[in-house]
Amino acid sequence: MIKHLPLFLFLGCTHLQAQKEEQTKMPNSFLDRTEFKAGYFGNILWNNGINVGAEYLWKENSRIKERKKGNKTITHQFLLNGNLGATTNFFNQTNTGLFTNYGLTWRRTNHKGKQISVEFNPLGYYRSFLPETYEVNGDNVDKVFLAGRGYYSPSLSIGFGKQRKGKKLTGRYFNVNFSVRTDYNAGSLPVVSLEYGYRFNFKKKK
Amino acid sequence: MHRYTLNLMKPLLLVVALFSLFSCSNDDEIDNLSETFFVRHENADMPAYVHGNATEKIFLIVLNGGPGGFGLTYRTKTFIETIEEKYAVVYFDQRGSGVSQGKYLEKEVTVDLMAEDVLALAKVIKEKYGDDSKLVLMGHSWGGTLGTATLLKDQDEFMGWIDVDGAHDPKAMYLEYITNHAKIANEQIALGNSLDYWETVLQLTDSVSPSYDQDNFFDLNREAFTAEEQLVEDDFINEENWEDEIGVNYNVFMALWNSGQILKILTNNGLWEDISYTDRLSEITIPSLIITGKHDLIVPSKFAEEALANIGSEDKELLVFERSGHSPMASEKELFAEKILEFIDRIK
Repeated sequence: MIKHLPLFLFLGCTHLQAQKEEQTKMPNSFLDRTEFKAGYFGNILWNNGINVGAEYLWKENSRIKERKKGNKTITHQFLLNGNLGATTNFFNQTNTGLFTNYGLTWRRTNHKGKQISVEFNPLGYYRSFLPETYEVNGDNVDKVFLAGRGYYSPSLSIGFGKQRKGKKLTGRYFNVNFSVRTDYNAGSLPVVSLEYGYRFNFKKKK
Repeated sequence: MHRYTLNLMKPLLLVVALFSLFSCSNDDEIDNLSETFFVRHENADMPAYVHGNATEKIFLIVLNGGPGGFGLTYRTKTFIETIEEKYAVVYFDQRGSGVSQGKYLEKEVTVDLMAEDVLALAKVIKEKYGDDSKLVLMGHSWGGTLGTATLLKDQDEFMGWIDVDGAHDPKAMYLEYITNHAKIANEQIALGNSLDYWETVLQLTDSVSPSYDQDNFFDLNREAFTAEEQLVEDDFINEENWEDEIGVNYNVFMALWNSGQILKILTNNGLWEDISYTDRLSEITIPSLIITGKHDLIVPSKFAEEALANIGSEDKELLVFERSGHSPMASEKELFAEKILEFIDRIK
């Protein structure tokens, strides 16, 4: 095994030499660097809703792998993103809420346009909306207008997608989203949701 | 560009339209109520689901077991077709249970506070449906603890009390588990039923600490559920069949998470070590119906007998369901509903 080590190292170095990493030249205008997204957000069984958002391209690196069959470009992006969404349980509306969150997305896109994303949103807020609510203070009972509560709600989404070059909808994605609502009751509430949607942009056509 | 944006917006508009449609569907005929409202009390928002016939303005408030059960567990097909046909039933997600939400500290969560939550619910019902509304309180298992605590705070709000396999003395349950598990195990061994299983129950009762130990308490509690399953298998009691719609009504993950949290909090705050209302049962003077499953291992029927002996009301009755364990409303459903209706008919 050890006698073959120089060979492995040689092949490894050759392989590394065959990769070029370069900072991609990024578009200048805000719209050209921004993609929008809209899609389903919920857990299908109980809570269902929508999520819309925007992703602003912050940094991008492309790595070109030289292969016999042709070069393969792998792109890594860091995007600043923001989301706004709403979900409800249609059955009795006891779990209705609006949420918004902001953070950073890392995305890897391979030469076939397949994508893996990790989206971390440390700044998140969830506002629940309750149906008819009465507040009791001693013997007083008062109806509450727009009852609900606000919670700090950071989230993490992990998912995959597909770039659709040349299409109006420039990509589709499927994420599993983990979020926490806190302080919720006497602690925190973990929530798992699914996201499926499409990305689009308003880039100027060249 | 505008057309493109419009095309993109179409699916979103459809979803928004669906939101509006569903949020407007509320059947609120007085003889067929189907309403959900929240009670906000001491930093908690707790949903009450009101279903049934409120023409006589009689409301049966159901306090679930647990702690941490779900209010709508009790909305079985039998409840819908019998009790709700005649009276309105209020299913309630207690503080920290089901889809209740809020913001409060662990140390603030006591049986006392939760009893005040129930009284707050009673006030909201009277505010919403009229001061002449008549309330009957029913508590199952832990709901029996909470119901008793509520009545000891203010029983004037209620015209009757239905205590179903209720635990008015959580503090005494540990020792009663040891005694009752051993008794039932010996009875079953004498009958020649599932000898191997009941031997393990005897081994458990021999191995636990003779004074309260939290881990041992939950070992015995879990064993009580398993033992009832064994009794079902041996055709000693009927199988529980809830026929509820929990999967539809609740995000089960969320509700189970909440359930675990509130059980932990109340346990840490001394529910099973310190709370006992036996000495104060004599203060309850409203008509009371006490129901127990003859083979209840989770809250042994000794507590029902104790309730009958100590409740101060002159109008009190104990019903023993021969083919039931801890939940007669799910194992002898028709008989259960019949007895509830008889009781309310009589006291109204």
